[in-house]
Amino acid sequence: MSAARGPFLFADIETQGLRSIDTYRKGGGYEMVKTWIGGHKAPEECIEVVKASGLRGRGGAGFPTGLKWSFVPKESPKPRYLVCNADESEPGTFKDRELMEKNPHLLIEGMILAAYAIKANTGYIYLRGEFETIQRILDQAIAEARAAGLIGDKVGGGDFRFQLHTHLGAGAYICGEETALLSSLEGFRGQPRLKPPFPAVEGLYACPTIVNNVETLMNVPAILKNGAPWFRQWGTEKSPGTKIFSVSGPVKRPGNYEVPLGMPLSQLLNQHCGGPQDGVRIKAVIPGGSSVPLLPASMLDTGLDFEAMVAAGTLLGSGGVIVIDDRTCIVDALYNITRFYEHESCGKCTPCREGTYWMSEIFERLESGHGREKDIDLLWDVSDNIMGKSFCALGDAAAMPVLGAIKHFREEFEHHILHKRCLVNRRREEIEAFQAVTA
Amino acid sequence: MSHAPVMPTEAPPRIEWPESCRAEVKEALARYPNARSAVLPVLWIAQRQWGWVSPSALRLVADTVGLPSPEVFGIATFYTMFNLKPVGRHHVQVCMTLSCSLMGADRLFRHLERKLGIGHGETTPDGRFTLRRVECLAACGGAPCLQVNFDYHENLNEAKVDALLETLK
Amino acid sequence: MSAPVKVTVNGRTVEVPAGTLVTDAARAAEIHVPIFCSHAKLPPLGACRICVVEVGTPRLGPDRKPVLGPDGQPEIVWMPKVQTGCTTFVSDGMHVRTESPVAVKARKGVMEFLLVNHPLDCPVCDEGGECQLQDLAFAFGQDFSRMDEAKRTFESEDLGPVVKKEANRCIVCMRCVRYCDEIMGDDALTAHQRGVWTEISSFNRQPLECEQCGNCIEVCPVGALTALPYRFKARPWDLRQHITICPYCSNGCSVRLGVRGDAVLRARGTEFRGVNQEYLCVRGRFGYEFVNRGERLSTALVRSGGTLTPARFDEAVTLAATQLREIAAVHGPEAVAFLGGEKLLVEEQYLFQKLARAVVGTPHVDARTRFTARVEGAAILKATGGGRPLVSLADLTRAQEVLVLGEDLQGESPFIQAQLVRGQHHRALHMTIAHPRRVKLAWEKFRGDWLAYRPGSEQALLAGLTRAALALGDPPNPGDEARGALDGMRRSLEAWTPERIETSTGIAFARIEAAAKRLREAERKAIVFGRALTEHPAAAMLLQAVEALGWATGALEATRSSVMYAGPNNNTQGALDMGLAPDVLPGYAPASDATARQVFEPSWGGALPTARGLSAPEILKAAAEGRIKALWVVSDHWLRSAPDRALVDAALAKLELLIVSDLFLNGTGERAHVVFPAVSFAEKEGVVVNCERRLQRSVRALNPRRGARTDWEIFQAVAQAMGAKWSYRTAEDVFREIARLVPAYHGTSWGALLGGGHAWASERPLVAGPPEAFAAPSSGEVNGDALWLLSGGTLFLQGSLSYHGELLPKLAKEARARIHPEDARRLGIEDGEPIEIEGPGGTIRVASRIDGDVPAGSVFIPYAYSEVELNRLGAPAGEGMRVKARKAAMVTA
Repeated sequence: MSAARGPFLFADIETQGLRSIDTYRKGGGYEMVKTWIGGHKAPEECIEVVKASGLRGRGGAGFPTGLKWSFVPKESPKPRYLVCNADESEPGTFKDRELMEKNPHLLIEGMILAAYAIKANTGYIYLRGEFETIQRILDQAIAEARAAGLIGDKVGGGDFRFQLHTHLGAGAYICGEETALLSSLEGFRGQPRLKPPFPAVEGLYACPTIVNNVETLMNVPAILKNGAPWFRQWGTEKSPGTKIFSVSGPVKRPGNYEVPLGMPLSQLLNQHCGGPQDGVRIKAVIPGGSSVPLLPASMLDTGLDFEAMVAAGTLLGSGGVIVIDDRTCIVDALYNITRFYEHESCGKCTPCREGTYWMSEIFERLESGHGREKDIDLLWDVSDNIMGKSFCALGDAAAMPVLGAIKHFREEFEHHILHKRCLVNRRREEIEAFQAVTA
Repeated sequence: MSHAPVMPTEAPPRIEWPESCRAEVKEALARYPNARSAVLPVLWIAQRQWGWVSPSALRLVADTVGLPSPEVFGIATFYTMFNLKPVGRHHVQVCMTLSCSLMGADRLFRHLERKLGIGHGETTPDGRFTLRRVECLAACGGAPCLQVNFDYHENLNEAKVDALLETLK
Repeated sequence: MSAPVKVTVNGRTVEVPAGTLVTDAARAAEIHVPIFCSHAKLPPLGACRICVVEVGTPRLGPDRKPVLGPDGQPEIVWMPKVQTGCTTFVSDGMHVRTESPVAVKARKGVMEFLLVNHPLDCPVCDEGGECQLQDLAFAFGQDFSRMDEAKRTFESEDLGPVVKKEANRCIVCMRCVRYCDEIMGDDALTAHQRGVWTEISSFNRQPLECEQCGNCIEVCPVGALTALPYRFKARPWDLRQHITICPYCSNGCSVRLGVRGDAVLRARGTEFRGVNQEYLCVRGRFGYEFVNRGERLSTALVRSGGTLTPARFDEAVTLAATQLREIAAVHGPEAVAFLGGEKLLVEEQYLFQKLARAVVGTPHVDARTRFTARVEGAAILKATGGGRPLVSLADLTRAQEVLVLGEDLQGESPFIQAQLVRGQHHRALHMTIAHPRRVKLAWEKFRGDWLAYRPGSEQALLAGLTRAALALGDPPNPGDEARGALDGMRRSLEAWTPERIETSTGIAFARIEAAAKRLREAERKAIVFGRALTEHPAAAMLLQAVEALGWATGALEATRSSVMYAGPNNNTQGALDMGLAPDVLPGYAPASDATARQVFEPSWGGALPTARGLSAPEILKAAAEGRIKALWVVSDHWLRSAPDRALVDAALAKLELLIVSDLFLNGTGERAHVVFPAVSFAEKEGVVVNCERRLQRSVRALNPRRGARTDWEIFQAVAQAMGAKWSYRTAEDVFREIARLVPAYHGTSWGALLGGGHAWASERPLVAGPPEAFAAPSSGEVNGDALWLLSGGTLFLQGSLSYHGELLPKLAKEARARIHPEDARRLGIEDGEPIEIEGPGGTIRVASRIDGDVPAGSVFIPYAYSEVELNRLGAPAGEGMRVKARKAAMVTA
């Protein structure tokens, strides 16, 4: 694989030995640390460039990154913190894992520069518990960076002091929510906190804190090097730049792809992923991780950017693209998703805690052939009673997929109720076949 | 999943950090301005050392980071990855979330059940394998996948799984 | 202070202080917004979502002023999502809709979710009838369920002998966990697992290691946590509930007793009333059992032929009156003494001393039976500001710096402890805990300063703090008398050099200086002390030192006092107010002052005694020597409370007449000649004064035990039998007289006290005189071998009443003598082995407990265990009690 896999994040991702600092530097790595920090450029200018670039959070929320950085109070005497959200747990998403595994130094460089911009002297990388191997890779890279004077007291030969630590979670999707992440990092159960106050003002240890996704931070060095207009050469007006999309499901080439924002989803699937596997037709695609409503096959030309997805009734989310084929039962798929949210609900608030359980139970009944006529409206109403009423976005994430599935595939639900079985269910067929063989 | 009441009346016996852990514990505490933030790293050290977090270990962790024991009990049980009872040498965690399910994870899990003779949450009598269903491992492009302890194994099918199990002694 | 804010709720506009939450603003507009996880004493959580409402704010134009709509009213921009009212602070011009279709659907949705897994347990759930979930489900839930899936279930658990947990019912509001963490400081409860499998439990599901206060039960809005002692006993509508004042410590908590028929079935907090609202300690909540006991005295007893035999009440009265009159006639009224009374109502205390002084004619009256030295009746008042307005228990949570002197608040004043813990958690209150032992508040988690002074060095510690405070300059507002005494005080402290103080206390002087500085610099502060100082042999001197410290740190000021005395009993303050001390009349008027006597003489019908009255320790000695021949001991187990067992044994043997009035027949009563059966706190009505000097009405909760009388009725009967013209029909009559004659109580009445009571204060201090200079240090010899005996109250037991029940003694477990590991090693003692403690008066034997929280060179034995007769060791003297300890000799078969 010698050809570049993407415009810049993935451009040299397959370079052999990229994990080692020497190789990373050969490709121009850590230059920006010297230029901006060693060169005593104003942190405020750093924020302005990132603001101008229009970079938006790549973890799922899509909040403008530079704007978020500017929320840190200028005059606060409290120490500031930069936290990298490497809790990647949104089903269908696996981009941060590849990025960190292959190019850990890019994350470190991004964090050093971001920390400089917000005047944070301490950074933490919060990794999901399953990423222990990645923690080792990052720790190794951090040690190399420290030895090279890029982390420590005089970063890049300038006056900036920065310490960076990795922190391993232990299996909780909710810790991807920024205030839950901070709770977990502080040593509490990983439950979200009230906003306001927002983390930029009162975050880790009640100090100003910025929480950014891995991919977001990895964009920063290139933006600072090449400037905002360069970054805007890709993407749309409101969603500039590139994004890495994780494609899974029965396509020929699942994997991570860096493409300009705004590319039609169908182009990503057909051009980059080789289209569906032979003999498979696409019924629906979830464009942004399991938390967002699915798009039926008829809407696959929707652009992969924040605005277009909203207009299509869904969200760009984390960019976890899950392809659902026409022999997969939508109800079964939603059962799987709903069970996920039930397992991951932190339990703090009533609607999510009880509602995800309830919906799972209803789905189980539907799947096992005991569905009732009122179940569809019941599912809809339960989802509606969760949406906007829960403490954090996990409740919405549990509700939205159900609403989307009922909206676009009501007939599959009706089929379950009327005929007490799925319209189609390849998964079930495979299991039955397996059991027949092994019985 | 109903909980049988354990309700012991005796406090669990006190244990100490073995010498080999002390430096690591100290380093973990030093990473944060606030000792309690080290509770997850220190829980990991305990689990690496003993294979699981027993009530005694929970108490030790609590004392180490300066938290009340009940609170550490609550923290450890909040997350899925701390083993509250001993597990086998090879903890086989199979992802069952949507992408993997679409690509055959359910069938794969049944295969493992049959092959190992155990179900979800159970351990083989020889202590070699523990089998568990888990949620999305962020390896969706290589579905179906599983983790053995911390090692990822992707793009699996029954044959590959069988071959993998052979290598896990 | 920010300007008040206008909020419109459902069209109704109210003005509320800035910083008000929407739920509270709604309440101000008399609109009810339901809550579960929200609690008045806990910071906003926003978890249960039942309080969701629509919130809107005025649209602001470019000039930052509200844009007006066509109707001339500000245009309101409604937030796209409903908001939890309990976490949203009001802003000026805010609008709230609680009954709009959106708000109603949201609330009903949450209500439905709450009932998804909540079992339909009402028929078997103790909470039924007073369950917030029930009430709110009835108010706006549906009358059918759409959820007919299987519910998630847990096993129920006993989290110890007090708390029953039915986790199925839990709605995960987390009030119990937060209350236990943030107000009790016990951190005993935790939520484990997550999601719908979240279960409240203890560490490893073991019995809760906590104060067993049961407040978790109280704040649980459903029947997930219920009280085991009350389980399945009654339904709330079966109970008559009345609010009494707790009979145990001096915090004066309001207790809502639930009575059915003749029995008290339970006690609960009052939610919004009293000083404590929902809070109760384990004693207040579970210590009512003694009221119900069958072995309570229900008949008078008189000694006849060597044994106590039941007698009719009037017979006993006649006997007592006749004998009192005879002994007074033959030996003089000063051969009669009256002891006890700290647990009586104010009305009863007043009549007790009136009986003594005006009817019998003796000046020997003292409620303070545990005191080991003579202390003037007004000494404590003087030390706490002479009657100036006093810091309140509510104020304590807002203090910045609190110094606790020698008191283990957990055992003595649990509610004060909870106030301090709450202040520390929520409002950055800092505590300085001066105590030889590592008491609960000295634990690191409370982030206070622990001044572990050596036992016996109380004076040095106070000298050090005062000296350091005065070194910072004069306090800002001492008032004239005190200001004039400051230089003299400084001079008297010169002998107390930092080196001497360090050597004596074992504390680095810099730390003492820092503590004094913190107190001085705090705008809101308090000093709390209790029996550790007042029952000390040098109490008189120590109280003067506390006063000096108060002035020096600014805790005492010209117009107010932040020095609080937390007495050991529920009406210790009342006893002092009512003159149950030999040298003061009710209202602290000196008994030696003729003008003071003249206030009472006309009303009391005769001249009052002029001779010097003996205090309790002096009465003890006099009775042991046979100079006191008749004694009335009221509501006090004198055999145990008297400081010296040998003396009290001698006294009881020599007395010609011992009258006892009490609820139970105890060791003291068994030696009596006349025993009157008294009613409990729950069976009478009257006034009790707490440590805030707050008069509170305790209401009668159940009918008096058949045969028993209120103490005031007993006193009146005897007084009348002795010829006094008393004619009180009710206790209220007595109170009217008190209010008339005692200046501090002028203007109060039973009726006026029904609200939150009334904390009396007097503009001009009742006790005149500047603070005394410091006494010079004494050169006490230190007996190397001896250990200091430390004692004090304990949480589960207080006095003999707490023994008459099952739960409290069970929680208290057995008595232990706690010694430091070093001493244990030196004495060759293993944990649990019995040891002998030898004091100047005798020896006792107690099982040991090795405890690093006890200072080396001391042994700690709490006083309240019935099997440990501490006073057999003799009375402490000098700087405290020194004892020897050794392994107990084997008990031969």
